Amino acid sequence: MNADAQLIEHMMNPKNYGEMKENDAVGMGKNPQNGEKVAIYLKVEPSQDPLIKDISFQAIGCTTTVVAGSIITSEAKGVTFSRAEELISITLGMLENIPPEDAACSEMVALALKAALDTYTKRQTSPDFPMISYKIQTDCTPKEEKES
Amino acid sequence: MKTLFKDVHEAWLAMQFTGFMSQTKNRQDLYEFANILFKHLTWLENDFIKNKIAYDYSINQVPIRVTHLHVMIHNIIQRLETIESGLSSCHDQDVTFRIKSDIEYIKASLAKMPDENVEHAFDTKREYPNVSLSDEARDALTLFLFEESYKEYELIMVYNYSKAHSNDAFLNRIFQILIDESFFHLRSFGQMMAEMGILGVPRSIMEEIYKFDDLKQFLKDGIQEEIGAKEECKRLAQAVSDSSEHFAAFFTFINNQENYHIALMEEALAYVNQKGS
Repeated sequence: MNADAQLIEHMMNPKNYGEMKENDAVGMGKNPQNGEKVAIYLKVEPSQDPLIKDISFQAIGCTTTVVAGSIITSEAKGVTFSRAEELISITLGMLENIPPEDAACSEMVALALKAALDTYTKRQTSPDFPMISYKIQTDCTPKEEKES
Repeated sequence: MKTLFKDVHEAWLAMQFTGFMSQTKNRQDLYEFANILFKHLTWLENDFIKNKIAYDYSINQVPIRVTHLHVMIHNIIQRLETIESGLSSCHDQDVTFRIKSDIEYIKASLAKMPDENVEHAFDTKREYPNVSLSDEARDALTLFLFEESYKEYELIMVYNYSKAHSNDAFLNRIFQILIDESFFHLRSFGQMMAEMGILGVPRSIMEEIYKFDDLKQFLKDGIQEEIGAKEECKRLAQAVSDSSEHFAAFFTFINNQENYHIALMEEALAYVNQKGS
């Protein structure tokens, strides 16, 4: 990751970090390769296209994951579920263009958000539906390590 | 009591990281006061354990970006006053008395602490005094400091939790050494972050990291992590060696210290294996 000024700000002061005890849904993104994970918590305003009133995340992972969590949750705060789905698609669509170790972190956060949205949606018809967890597909081994 | 525990935890970090931003003899005083607050945290933790009360290490983010030290000092004094007002929730009257007495002294000392301009700790310039870093070395060092400052904080809390829940003198000796080692590393990295203008308090630790069921597996994973950290230090020492002999020597030193941590964890693992067999 190139550490430009904006990214440094997210490292120094990650936005929306921490557990949200009173949430409407939680979703998990996992990296089965190394055990890293991201949890995303949502507070939702119900409607036909529900609104993400508040969002937070926690991570067992590297600094890149925390930066990705900080950026993606900032983008998702205050938007509707349909806009959040677009945000997830855009993020997942960009993964090929970034180094694999960074791509894996962004994918993990995007999938945690997707899992949280899906958990909320499922709970509208089955209130006891368990938290959804998605596994990433990206291999996070840096290119130079694969070649060596 | 849980709020009090969280308040002490946050005050400890605020004090410790205010120490990092100081460039005067205030730093040493702030380090000493941070040590005292950490000790308070362990006392309260012991009270939880004695009374079989579930607790965790979750905290809110601790904002520290200020231009002058006195702003943080004022903030810390407020935090200490909040702790004092919450002390009645502690079950142990002796502990309450000791914490109150310490806090009174710390507050009085802080009120007299000379002010300093600390803008340098947050200017994000990422320049190190008397060192010329390449862009690659600067980025590598930046990422390393964020990763490792969090990691050392995590290790302090993980070993502290393990120690608090163990009555085994052999293991507790090892846990205490590892806590002390991580404090040293956290302080080294925190000071470097402040020098580079990128100081930030690490994020809260997820509960499952320190509330593990399998000590053997934890130690095995810990050994692998230390081996990874050694490699990272080696890579970093190489990346900065052209820019700074001082940095290269420092990271080689940290790399070699990891050998000691690995040896300690291997010792603990052998002991746990032997006990289990």
